[in-house]
Amino acid sequence: MIPFAYNLRSLKVRKATTAAGALGLGLVVLVFALVMMMVNGVEGAMRRAADPRVAIVLRKGASGEMDSWIDEAGVSLVGAAPGVSHAVDGRAAAVVELVVSMLLDDPRGGQFNVTLRGVPEDVMTFRSTAAMVEGRPPRPGTDEAIIGQALRAKGLAVGGAIEMRKNRPMRIVGVFEDEGSAFESEIWGDTNVIRGTFGRQGIVSSVRVRLDSPGDFDRFKASVESNRQLNVAAMRDSEFYEKASRGTALFLSAMGFLIAAFLSIAAIIGAMITMHATVAQRRREIGTLRALGFSRREILASFLLESIVLALMGGATGTAVALLASLKRVTIINLSTWSDLSFKFEPTPRILVTAIVIAGVMGILGGLFPAIRAARVHPIQAMRGG
Amino acid sequence: MTLVSIAARNALRNKFRTIMTVLGIAIAVLAFVTLRTILHAWNVGLESAAKDRLATRAKVSFVIPLPKRYIDDVAAVPGVKIASYANYFGGQWPKDANQSLATMAAADNIFDIYPEMSVAPAALAQWKADKKGAIIGDVLAKRLGIHVGDNVVLTGTIYPGDWEFTVDGLYTAPEQSAVDHSTFYFHWDYLNDGAPPHQKGFIGLILTRVDDPSKSAAVSRAIDGIFDDRDVQTATMSERAMTNSFLGGITAVLDALDFISIVTLLIMMLILGNTVAMGVRERTAEYGVLRALGFDPWHVRTLIVAETLTVSLGAAVLGCAMAYPLLGAVGRWFEENMGQFFPTFRVTSVTLAVALALSVIVGGLASLIPALRAGRIQVTDALREIA
Repeated sequence: MIPFAYNLRSLKVRKATTAAGALGLGLVVLVFALVMMMVNGVEGAMRRAADPRVAIVLRKGASGEMDSWIDEAGVSLVGAAPGVSHAVDGRAAAVVELVVSMLLDDPRGGQFNVTLRGVPEDVMTFRSTAAMVEGRPPRPGTDEAIIGQALRAKGLAVGGAIEMRKNRPMRIVGVFEDEGSAFESEIWGDTNVIRGTFGRQGIVSSVRVRLDSPGDFDRFKASVESNRQLNVAAMRDSEFYEKASRGTALFLSAMGFLIAAFLSIAAIIGAMITMHATVAQRRREIGTLRALGFSRREILASFLLESIVLALMGGATGTAVALLASLKRVTIINLSTWSDLSFKFEPTPRILVTAIVIAGVMGILGGLFPAIRAARVHPIQAMRGG
Repeated sequence: MTLVSIAARNALRNKFRTIMTVLGIAIAVLAFVTLRTILHAWNVGLESAAKDRLATRAKVSFVIPLPKRYIDDVAAVPGVKIASYANYFGGQWPKDANQSLATMAAADNIFDIYPEMSVAPAALAQWKADKKGAIIGDVLAKRLGIHVGDNVVLTGTIYPGDWEFTVDGLYTAPEQSAVDHSTFYFHWDYLNDGAPPHQKGFIGLILTRVDDPSKSAAVSRAIDGIFDDRDVQTATMSERAMTNSFLGGITAVLDALDFISIVTLLIMMLILGNTVAMGVRERTAEYGVLRALGFDPWHVRTLIVAETLTVSLGAAVLGCAMAYPLLGAVGRWFEENMGQFFPTFRVTSVTLAVALALSVIVGGLASLIPALRAGRIQVTDALREIA
């Protein structure tokens, strides 16, 4: 086999060309990595909102919490279903919520939709991951509200107000966090106050219950769904959020990967040009190597390897730049609620490896034809300079 | 023979490299034009939107419905020619739950709001008399394989239950208009009769046409003024603003597309710059000979820049030529399947002109450093390379 150092030295001699070829591939890897991190960020924000021991009950046929409604009678029936865990005082571990969307003015111009969630007083007990980071929890039965910390970027803050109806503002008294979940993009307030404004008297959107154990889900589901009067469907919380993120994630990946695939063709051609020139310049060298006894296969492998190294250098650069993006928070429309969802570009080891592998594949595709050409070099002719 | 034409011919000296460069840049141009077309379709796609059309929704949230009686107040506002209303019904197509349907329960005069939608008079009359009747877009009918006279059942998502309809007719609309070709219209009364008690008596949107488009803003204010002290305040806006109020959050995606279109330009620059640099390196000796014969450095530079511009412009023309038929096909798909957001999805001549202009700029920038360097070459150094 031709020593690897030969390839490294050859890449080093043609510094500018190497850098241009590698950067072209690196930019494409950057786009691929950003798309993957974006999709993972959206899915992650939703996934963190889910609790493995929790089941959610919605109206049958509803596409999400926004278009679901359950009446008071339904709520008590769900709470009494088998498998639901109970607190020491005998109350069911359940959280009954009303979910609506509302339009707010964006201080940077334009408007945005935000999810407004009517929550019970003990919501933080049920969602133990959520915690206040500023101010205090709202007093029940009042027009006080708390905001997820992602909404600070939208100009909302403690002491501010959200106009619900003319002269009927909701006052912001606190900010909460929830490990970066989708809840951090929401406003939480008193169910009854929200009901009044939104004309939802007597109904709620969803009931979440904590089960004694995750294994109790099937029993619980069978019980609530068999009740025809109730006309509801039960899902594991995790399944619900997985489904809710699917639309947005699919939209992003379809669009992102299509564009990235396009760009990768251009970058592969760029790498091909670089490698082709290298081969042309080194005909004499290749002829000598062949004359020294290296086989066609070894020449092919050597040039292919060189192209892969070039691509991996670009891939590593692109991935490193993509990692910088993970410091930034972005907002995007959540296609399951039509409200804004704030998330981070989230890298995972798998995404980073995939990005590097994509770079390697592009290197192979770009280097294959030049390498074949190199392998076909006739030793005598090449050494003669023909 | 001018220097520039020699430079253009020079491009064909290394045919393989030139062809690959042209191909690579053409694809980058294609990607660039695609991205700009999506952005354009989103931002100004509704330039052809009717200026005399306004939409009124609840100010606080699109999930808050308006009391039905609001329609009478709006109709009485001076300057309002026609007032109609509609509720978004949604609904699932039982044969394929993934089909997204724009189903609207509308007032009987809804087609007077959209004069660009044409319905056969007989079909319209039949629809008005048919309680369960529906008029649907011709594109939707084709997509779902529905024919006039068919019975259709949709499962309600917002309004519970299975809803039965008879398709009485199709509507068509000119290609370049701002209206969606895939909406499913049925009677609001039918929806209201079958809706559960708490969903009765409400309308989602009020749609109006005004007498004088230049007074739209005043009419909007007048409409919102009526409801200022009522239970539900309203916000009246143009059709376009209405779409944006639903989809404002899409801006992050648009920003991302914007960013990627710049990345595309960078990739173009790298491919082109690399090719130029290689060409210059190989021809150092030639440039030395030219200089020795008495040509000035700027002659050499012109040669290089002109050759690069020939390649980049040629590639851009090829890219644009590929973009036209491709985006024509993609655009039709967008118009048919995502008509609510992209009623017209076309490549515009402005986008193509921008792509051509940018490729010239990119070509100039890419050849800048190699050209400067080549001009600075010492004749003796260059000639030594021959020996």
